[in-house]
Parts: sequence; C-alpha cells; structure tokens
Amino acid sequence: MIYLDNAATTKPSLGTLEMAKRILEKDFYNPSALYYRALEIKKEIDLSRARIAEKLVCKPSEIVFTSGASESNNWAVASGFKNKRGNIVISYGEHPSVYEPVMLLKGKGVDVRVIPLLSDGRIDVGRLEQSVDKNTSFVSVIHASNETGVVNDVNALARLVKQKNPKVVFHSDGVQAFCKIPVCLEDSGIDLYSISAHKIGGLKGAGALYIGSGLNISPLIVGGGQERNLRSGTENVISILSFKTAIDDFDEKAVSELYDYAICRLSAIDDVKVNGNNEYSSRFVISVGVAGVKSEVLQHILSDAGVLVGTGSACSSKAKKNRTLESMGIDKHYIDGNIRISLSPSNTMEEMKTAMDILSDSICELRRKING
Amino acid sequence: MDNIIVLRYGELYLKGKNRGFFERLLIGNIKSKLEKFKCELICHRGRYEVVGYKKEDEPRIVSALKTVFGLKSLSVAQKVPSDLGVMSDMISKRLPEKGSFKIETHRADKTFPLTSPQVSAAIGEKIIEENSDLNVDLHDPDIIVNVDIREDKSTYIYTKKEECVGGMPVGCAGKGLLMLSGGIDSPVSGYMLAKRGLSLDAIHFHSYPYTSEQAKDKVIELAKIMSDYCGHMNLIIVPFTKIQEAIHEKCNSEFMITIVRRFMMRIAEKVAFFRDCGCIVNGESLGQVASQTLQSITVTNDVVKSMPVFRPLIGMDKQEIIDISLKIGTYETSILPYEDCCTVFMPESPVTKPTIVRAENEERKMGNFEKLIEEALDNLEIIKV
Repeated sequence: MIYLDNAATTKPSLGTLEMAKRILEKDFYNPSALYYRALEIKKEIDLSRARIAEKLVCKPSEIVFTSGASESNNWAVASGFKNKRGNIVISYGEHPSVYEPVMLLKGKGVDVRVIPLLSDGRIDVGRLEQSVDKNTSFVSVIHASNETGVVNDVNALARLVKQKNPKVVFHSDGVQAFCKIPVCLEDSGIDLYSISAHKIGGLKGAGALYIGSGLNISPLIVGGGQERNLRSGTENVISILSFKTAIDDFDEKAVSELYDYAICRLSAIDDVKVNGNNEYSSRFVISVGVAGVKSEVLQHILSDAGVLVGTGSACSSKAKKNRTLESMGIDKHYIDGNIRISLSPSNTMEEMKTAMDILSDSICELRRKING
Repeated sequence: MDNIIVLRYGELYLKGKNRGFFERLLIGNIKSKLEKFKCELICHRGRYEVVGYKKEDEPRIVSALKTVFGLKSLSVAQKVPSDLGVMSDMISKRLPEKGSFKIETHRADKTFPLTSPQVSAAIGEKIIEENSDLNVDLHDPDIIVNVDIREDKSTYIYTKKEECVGGMPVGCAGKGLLMLSGGIDSPVSGYMLAKRGLSLDAIHFHSYPYTSEQAKDKVIELAKIMSDYCGHMNLIIVPFTKIQEAIHEKCNSEFMITIVRRFMMRIAEKVAFFRDCGCIVNGESLGQVASQTLQSITVTNDVVKSMPVFRPLIGMDKQEIIDISLKIGTYETSILPYEDCCTVFMPESPVTKPTIVRAENEERKMGNFEKLIEEALDNLEIIKV
C-alpha cells in the first residue's frame, strides 16, 4: 500500500513507536504525581516542549499542550477574540476548526470579515489590509493550506496587521506548516500559533498552542490546573512526548524530489490541473483537479489499486462545498474531481513512480467508462 | 408488593376465530424483545403482564416493549393484595404532597364486597382523611389513579398509561422485500408496512466504486435501527456497478434513472420470489423527484409482473416522512452524506414523463441484459441484521 494522505495523518516515526512502548510498559505514571518516576515524566514533557520551542523559535514557556489542533484553533478563536468586541478577520482558506467557531460568533452577531484567496492560493493581502481597522480584535490566517499546501507569509502578514492595529490578536494555524516551513515566532507579531503532533510522525491526541509572552488569555478547559493553569486535564503523555520523537525523526528535505517528480507527471495528464502556484507551495501537499471524474470514485479506484490519497470533495450532492478551492476561482469540474496527494519523508521515489503510473491509468480508465 | 408491567393490545380485539394466530405471533414478538432481560411474561385473555424483573431494568424493558407492533399501551403498576387498607397505603405513597386526584376502579373480581364506585369513594375518603392538602376532583384532577381488582385476589395500581406503537404483530401479514436505499424515505416505508404486520427482508443496490463502502455501512446501520421495530431481517446487497455502466454506455442519458430503476425492480422481483416475499416495498412519494412522477412510476412498475409493489409513502409530504424518520431513529443516519445511488452517471435533466415504449426501446440497445441480471444475482451478499 502506498500511503499518500499524510496531510490527514502520518505513520508514527520509529522513535515515536519505541517511546510509546516504553511509556505504556514502564513509565505510565501521571505526571502530576509527586513521586520520583512521575517527576521524570514531567521532565520529559518539558523536554518535548523545549524541542517544539526550538523549532518555532520561541520560549518553551510559550507552548501549551492541548488535545490536538482543533482544540488549539477553537481556543485561539475563543480567547483571541477578547472581550467579545470588535470585528474578526479570517480567510476563506482556513481549516474548519478555525472557520466554524468564527462562523458561530458571526451567528451571534459578531462582525466577521472573510478575505478571499488569490488564484495562486494565497490570501489576498490587499483585501486583508483593507479589512483590518481600529476595531479589529482577532485575525487568523492559515500558514500552509491543508487543501492546497500553499503557504502564506504569516510573519509578513502579522507585521502588516499590527501596523494597522497593534492591538489585534494574530493567530495562525500552523498544522500543515510545522517542521515543513520555517517559522520564527519570536518578536514576529504572531500571538497564537496552532500545531499538531500526528501530522509529522507523532501520535493523535496531542496538539499545542503557542501563546506569545504578554498575551493574557483565559483557559478553555479548567480543572486540575495542569499546563500552568492554562489547560487542565491529565496530560496525554505518549502523544505529547511524540512531538519530540517525531521532530527528531523528521527530515523535511526528503520530499522535495518526490514533489517535483509528481508535479512533472501530473502536468503530462490531459485535463489535470495542480491547484495553487507551486512557487508558493509547501512540498508536502499537492491539490490535483481531475476534470470529468468524481474525486470519491477516483479515490476508491486508487485505493483498490493500493494507492491511498485524500479527496477535496466527495461524490455527493450532500457533501460540503470546498470553500478553499471555490475562493481560488477553480472551475467546478476540477473541484468535483479534486484529490489531495500529501507526502511524508517516509515516502520513496519508487512509491511515487508506481503511484503516478496507477493514477494516470486510473484517470484514463475512469474517463473511458464515464464518457464512453 | 410486586412491580409489573401491564400490556394491552389494540386492533387484535377485532379479530374473530383466528385471533389465536395473531396473539401467538404477538406473544412470540414480545418474548423476543424480552429475551435479554430476566423476567416472565404472563398471558391472560386480552392483556399480558411482565413480572419478575429487576427494578433497574424497568426503563429498558418499557422502551423495548414500546417498539412491538400490536401493543396498544402499557402501564407500570404495583401489584398488592386486594385489601382496601393496603391499596390506600400504596396509593398514598404514589400521590404528591398536595393537589387533586381521582380514583378510577375496575373490578374484574365480582366477589369483591364493594362495587367499583364504592371502592373509589372509600379509598379517596381514606386518603384525604390522612392528608388534608390533597383533594378529590372527578372532572379535572392533577392525577388519575387506576385501581384494577383482579380475579386472583390481587389488585394492580397504576397512574400512567403509556402509548405503544399499535398496529399488527410483525409476521402476521407475510413477508415483503424492502428496497432500502439509504435515504430518509425507504426506512420509513418499511416501518409503516411492518406496522401492518409485514416482516421484511431488505435489498440494496451497491455501485462501488461509484458509491462508497460507507454508503453500504450506512444501509446496514439503517437496517439495524429498523430491526428494533421490524424484527431481524436479511439485507441483500446487489452488486450493481456493471449494470449501471452498461446502461450508461448504451442508453440515452436522460433515461438513465428510469432504466436504472427498472433494473432495480426486475432484480427486486426475482430476489423477492426466491426469498418467499409476497411483495416489494419502496419509499416512493408521488412527485418528490423525477423518478417518482406518475409516468415514471408507471414505467418502473411495468417490469414487475408477479407481485404488488407497495408504496406506503405515496401520498405523504416530505416533512411527514421526516417526522416518522425522527420518531423511529433513522433520520440521523439517513442524512449522513454518502450517496445511496451514484450521481456520476446521472443526467443534468432526467426525463420526468417517460413512456414504457421509449424505455423498452432504450433497453433494447443493451442487447441481452438478462445475463447482467443473472451475474448480479449470482453475486449477492446477504447480511443478517
């Protein structure tokens, strides 16, 4: 089986598996307990925190562990929108865990401004600049798109937004960018930044929210006072530690060659379009529009042939629309046939060659059946 | 004092000499529902009682019994000796601290020394003597207490009569084959005919890779939910991909839905015949979509020659159907976003007024399609639900 749906989740890295076995077998203690072994676990959690901080170029004390990126994003929206006053500015390319909580606020009467994307997949910076005003209290722009892999220069965007209104809380969803796109959060103007462990070879069940020093935000979950009273609940030790093991094992350069090869092969197939501009894209996600087929059907055929990819939209009139691709102005025929190929350093060139052969053949076969 | 659940049946009262047949089915269906509980079913003429159960199981037993077609109502009662003092004490405990009440007595034991009105009056008097905050109101009481004096010198006391689903016992009307698509309508149509005593098998047409495995799982889940009311059923999955591809390849695209449905009906009739089903049931509602116009139904119905096709929803509005779907618990599953029938081959504007002649002409283009049907029938998947 060739796994190319790594933006959905990744296979745990070897270091992660070894760590998980050790924790489950021997070091299962509650890190809040006061005996020696538990304290050792607590120290390991802090090492994981420090490793994340090193990657994000920030202080370890600015990292708070959560149950995953959805919680981090929801928390960012809930707490970033301070005092429930002013307006919110986000992009059409946000992940649902940002977009939906913001829409809930909109339903309650909050002034929400949603910025369209350019055809290359990036946020329309001009519109963003126009929309932020003295009443803006929260801005969220995704770092690397989960749909297209296109990267927004969030450091520059944060500076731009802060120039217009220094009081804005600026959040970025960094789930698909973490360890893949360099970022420097220190003195960046980015106040909140969400990440997840299982997208880079860690385990499901742990995310983190970077909360810049000086930003005073309220916890979403209260109780036992873990994570310096910011996120209560017994720590998910294995998943939190998997941040460190996954970062240690992750080689972000390993996919570039595979990415270039895939783009080259895809461009040779008729009526197939790579969404977004490669120049601005992460090397980990390729959004492919295949005209004349339904993505879900293509996904099934590929799956039967041993290639697992993601879909952008389902073969269903009831399924949600693809907000990101629509905002980019992609033709409906390409959106209906949109698949997402996402890579990890564990993929090989041999796999990619086989996958592209199968994809090419499957598209031809499916089109022959549908079009006669 | 014992807790008992008193069950009453409805329409079966109307049955004459064959009432025993209906009762036996009903009792069997009730026993099947009670299988997972430790309890006993006692059957009297005209009413049944569930006894000997653990008090903590009572809510689940009541819920289960409320899904048995044929039962009209039930009451959770306390069984006490037929003694006025004991009855009054029991009723006092069940009444609130203050408010109005009414005692309604039914005396099956004609040897009991007081008449029904006398019993009601005596109990009422005793209760208000003990608690002056309570008063009797025969016209608009806050609570009605039923006192049922039985022949075996015991009395049942209950305050609530809970409605059950009514209808006829599943199985008494034979067996039908339900065309279960995965949408909102077909589970409701199955429910409605099960209510009239039909036991069911279900048939589903699966077009992988054009529809998903999730769509199939959804149908299995729907059949499971329905089985609460309709009893266990066999779900027959028909591999339909090749037929759909052949229709798409050979026939005029605007006739796609019509021809697809004619094939579904042909296969359903054959499966129904082999599985001893006397009818086909589907969820069509007149005019709801292109395939459910009078002309479309005429053309699809035309291929079924040997048995009736029942469409219990034919005159219902969508909202009425949704209301039943919510009541029986299938709605949330039905609206999961997995297409029951693939949209890949569906035309932008399907024909809404097809004719039999034109449909037959289109089908002729497919040559010998019986082979395709036979191949599908040879590869059925049967899932016991």
